[in-house]
Amino acid sequence: MKKLRAVIAVLGLAAVAALGLVSCGGGGGSSSGSSGGGGKEGGTLNATYASFPDYLDPQLSYTQEGWTAMADVYIPLLTYKHAEGTEGSEVIPGLAKEMPEISNGGKTYTLFLRKGLKYSNGKPVKASDFAYAVERCFKLNSGGSVFYTSIVGAQKFAETKQGGIPGIKTNDKTGEIQIELEKPRGTFVNELGLMFVAPVPKGTPMEDLSGNPPPGTGPYMITKSQPGRGWEYARNPYWAKANEEEMPDYPSGNVDGAKVTVVRNPDTQVNDVEQGKFDWMENPPPASRYAQVKEKFEGTQFKVVPTISTYYFWMNVTQPPFNDPKVRQAVNYAIDPAALERIYAGQIEASHQILPNGMPGHKPINLYPHSMSKAKEMLEEANPSDMNITVWTDTESPNKEAGEYYEGVLAELGFNTKLKEINADNYFTVIGNLSTPDLDTGWSDWFQDYPHPNDFFQPLLAGESILKTNNGNFAQINEPKLNQEITELREQQLGPKQEQQYSELDKKYMELAPWAPYGQRTLSTFVSSAINLESVIFNPTFGHYLTSFEFNE
Amino acid sequence: MNSTNRDAAPAEPGTGSADYGPWRLALRRFLRNRVAVAFLVLFFLIVLFVLAAPLWAHHVAHTGPNETHTLQKLHVNGETREVVTPEGKPIGPQWFEAGGKFFLGADSRLGRDEMVRLMYGGRTSLLIGFVSGLITTLLAVVLGLLAGYYRGWVDAVIARTLDVLWSLPVLLFGIAIGTASALGGLGIGPIHIPGGSIWIPIFVISIFYTPYVARPIRGEVLSLGEKEFVEAAIAQGAGPLRVMFGELLPNLASTIVVFFALNIANNMLFEAALSFLGAGVQPPNSSWGTMITVGEELLTTQPLLAIIPGVMIMLTVLSLNIVGDGLRDALDPRSKVRFEAKTGVAEPEGAAI
Repeated sequence: MKKLRAVIAVLGLAAVAALGLVSCGGGGGSSSGSSGGGGKEGGTLNATYASFPDYLDPQLSYTQEGWTAMADVYIPLLTYKHAEGTEGSEVIPGLAKEMPEISNGGKTYTLFLRKGLKYSNGKPVKASDFAYAVERCFKLNSGGSVFYTSIVGAQKFAETKQGGIPGIKTNDKTGEIQIELEKPRGTFVNELGLMFVAPVPKGTPMEDLSGNPPPGTGPYMITKSQPGRGWEYARNPYWAKANEEEMPDYPSGNVDGAKVTVVRNPDTQVNDVEQGKFDWMENPPPASRYAQVKEKFEGTQFKVVPTISTYYFWMNVTQPPFNDPKVRQAVNYAIDPAALERIYAGQIEASHQILPNGMPGHKPINLYPHSMSKAKEMLEEANPSDMNITVWTDTESPNKEAGEYYEGVLAELGFNTKLKEINADNYFTVIGNLSTPDLDTGWSDWFQDYPHPNDFFQPLLAGESILKTNNGNFAQINEPKLNQEITELREQQLGPKQEQQYSELDKKYMELAPWAPYGQRTLSTFVSSAINLESVIFNPTFGHYLTSFEFNE
Repeated sequence: MNSTNRDAAPAEPGTGSADYGPWRLALRRFLRNRVAVAFLVLFFLIVLFVLAAPLWAHHVAHTGPNETHTLQKLHVNGETREVVTPEGKPIGPQWFEAGGKFFLGADSRLGRDEMVRLMYGGRTSLLIGFVSGLITTLLAVVLGLLAGYYRGWVDAVIARTLDVLWSLPVLLFGIAIGTASALGGLGIGPIHIPGGSIWIPIFVISIFYTPYVARPIRGEVLSLGEKEFVEAAIAQGAGPLRVMFGELLPNLASTIVVFFALNIANNMLFEAALSFLGAGVQPPNSSWGTMITVGEELLTTQPLLAIIPGVMIMLTVLSLNIVGDGLRDALDPRSKVRFEAKTGVAEPEGAAI
């Protein structure tokens, strides 16, 4: 799925979306996003993010921040229920009338667009806009395009960027959308619920529109965006006029709008939320303040939210010294998840595997119990030819400290290390660009895109996910046998047998050790006293929904 | 010909006679300035403190500046203390209770020894201040001499270039260059400085502070160029290089010495600002600027982590400024005389320099 910052953003977006849903109901529509009661409609949510999302463009964003920021702005054909926990993992119809009809042995998906839908600029939503969004996803080399390469003709389109994708047939008159897949794909329903394929008007420029986000279909629209600084929301006027009636189950939001300001100092964010200058901070409080905030505000303004995530250090297996599995295994022995638990001030639960707890197929394993002496021994055996490595991390605490810890561990192992800390706004863009020099090893995180174990393998570890830009397979591992297993499992519907196979896949990858995983994150919701904490929804996929925010009476 | 040819300055009362050379006279004057001497001693103590970093690290703290001790426990007076608590709070100053380990506590959740990082960070800060001060001074002297001696188009080109540099917002440009080059390094012709190298802040500081020294030097060269000793040297057949470096440069010595001292102080402040903003010294290496950044996160619970490196910067800069002022008074007593004349203090008699 996406990176933590992305996750946090998704949460934020979700919150924003929830707010939007709740508030959008201005016209008296449903406000199902509001859960707690005791809240009121209206007002402008003053929110803060610690960094600007990777993109404010639905086809491009692949971070939690980006998804949180856009969840209630761009609605895909299918979407996730505005709820927390397991309930929030349920895929429901979004712009589509109903869940898709799956035929032809799982290779044909047929959906119908709801009638009368409009974009925030007043233009009608057409079935062909879905095809346009998928093409845009490929043309922009989006990191999410890997989810849709099994559509007939998509692979060729990805290479040539010309013509259309013959596997997508649409009828603007009837609203019918028919998607033909090369092979059955058990995760495709989940993937239709991702923002990468949320329809945008035909003619939307084939370029990054983060500075001027395209029109959307959700209860809120982004009215202003200043990359690096912040962005603003207002109610989508066509939600109340058209879409709300067509999508009665989708929350309309409570607040009239929201203003998001990027404040890079999380200490300042905490102070400002405490003082009511901001109503909500999307990222968790910094580790140095976490215990204090939790003790003071838990239950009233603060709550801990679990996530399905994995935090890890990746190692580039294509070049020395990490092209040797022994070196990678040595690093795994050297990493001490218990130390990282402390660095994250208890906001991470130590683990040493790819699949996190809560994900189907998760079975606890730990192939590399911490032992620095064993690590040194293995490294000596491996005797790598190149000991000069660059270690990458972002500047956001506590990931920054995690990166510094990792660099220290590698130095203790005897590597000549150079640490590069990249601004969190650009971090994944920089390390996801294969032309960036010295991509040896570094920090990353991953939050589930959807509740399916394939989501922790295909985008992160499958060979086909290695992209020149927006790469998500930072280790650049491309093991044909394991790729094949991922592909085969992807084609099957998830059941106990498949879960067992995913568990085995987890072990196989850990034996190859392209990553040194160290934990699973908990996040939090921290709002000012003006906000009804009970109403705020943290969805495991999109994070905080804007439509779920409401001010106290 | 040289400094003795300069305008006669009043003699120091009580200096005895002209038996003393100008540098010795200046030294005597400097030594009489007790405040300047006290701060010079303080500066030397700071230098000794940072030079002792390896000794402290190896023999007292038993750790390096970047070594992490997140899970380490200290046994102090029969009590076990965690270097970093499970909530992520680093241990405070232990002074000598743990045999000098974590004398000033741990720096962050990484559990690095704050005292060791302070000493090593001081080395980095002073090194950057000193080396960039040296480069700035060299560049400024060469450019100032060329512009002031040749005048004409040479002066126009150099002076306007310096004006352009002067007009730039130094900190913003420093941050921009520092941040951009932190990733891919900095390429200047055949020279490539890798990202993260301390030569990047040194380069940035040296370039941006050159006009602040070069312009006054150019002005002084223009003034000295009118003096008889320069005309005499030219009349005797001296070439441009000899005039610039044999005649003019010695007469600039006092100015250069004063500027150099003040420059180190300014450069250290600039480095601290750049590092605080993430565009100077790159982690995990420490400088006093980066230590303030790290300490800032814990300002509410462990204020000493930010205050101590801040105080070190303040003391170093203050001592260099006061020493610089003392040097100026000692090497160019006319400025002091002018000040004293204005304030009604009697003007001393005789020539000193």
